[in-house]
Amino acid sequence: MRAIVARALMALTACCLDEGRREWARAMQAEFGAAVEDGKPLRFACGCLAAAARELVTRAEGRFVLTSYALALGLMLPMAALQIGCAVLGLPYLYAGHGGLGGALVAGGAQEALMRGVYQAAVPSLSLLLLLVGIGHLRIAWAMLERDWSGVTRMGALTLAAAATLILFMAALFIDGSQALLQTGIVLVELATVSLVARRNADLARLQAARSP
Amino acid sequence: MRLLLESLSAQRQQWRHGYDLMKETGLSSGTLYPLLMRMTDQGLVEAEWHEPAQPGRPPRHAYRLTAAGFALALEMPGEQGPLTHREALA
Repeated sequence: MRAIVARALMALTACCLDEGRREWARAMQAEFGAAVEDGKPLRFACGCLAAAARELVTRAEGRFVLTSYALALGLMLPMAALQIGCAVLGLPYLYAGHGGLGGALVAGGAQEALMRGVYQAAVPSLSLLLLLVGIGHLRIAWAMLERDWSGVTRMGALTLAAAATLILFMAALFIDGSQALLQTGIVLVELATVSLVARRNADLARLQAARSP
Repeated sequence: MRLLLESLSAQRQQWRHGYDLMKETGLSSGTLYPLLMRMTDQGLVEAEWHEPAQPGRPPRHAYRLTAAGFALALEMPGEQGPLTHREALA
């Protein structure tokens, strides 16, 4: 059990160290075998994690990794949950009384006669688009944590395209566009933040390359 | 840093592994690795990968003092009392 926890801590250590310290993560991992043989894997792993945590806060690259995690866990994942939840629940905020698709199709409702056909035709496509936007957020968060910045940019562009399509359809189909505009604003702010983070990563990579002999 | 400099300068030409340095200096991995990273950044220590002694093991990172590191080790004051954690990192 202690060895499993120690291995998990070593894996966490590798995740905490940025690209510039990747070789050190490998060095610690290579010495882990000696610590296991010595019967002190947990102590060694805890120390390595503490070293990685110190690097996180004392180096610009480390602080950048922390920012990426905060952005992925604090913004991208909640947004993904919101988008996927809305898609699964049938865009609940779009209809009178926030009753979702079911509410819109209530027989005898004020809007039923006029909107039933339109909603029936449009909502599955809109839900699918919203689902794609949500999955796009998840994929962006994953790529950020893997430090795959070209993937982040690619998924950001695809998510933006899906969001733009969704908003155009919503604007055409629904009278109340306030929710659509709000979502547009959020997605734009979010993707602009991701773009800034990706650019900062490129700056740090250039700085690191300049520092290397 | 004094402990590490002393340990590395005692056998200056010999490449040393991280775990061996931990045992020799009594420093924990949480103290040793930040020191090694910082000293490597400052050009006091050089590092290279060595093939494992036993097959099936990963290559190990080995360290030794550079000329600048050895010069610094010679300038350091001699043996003193036991160091606190903060002093070890200084």
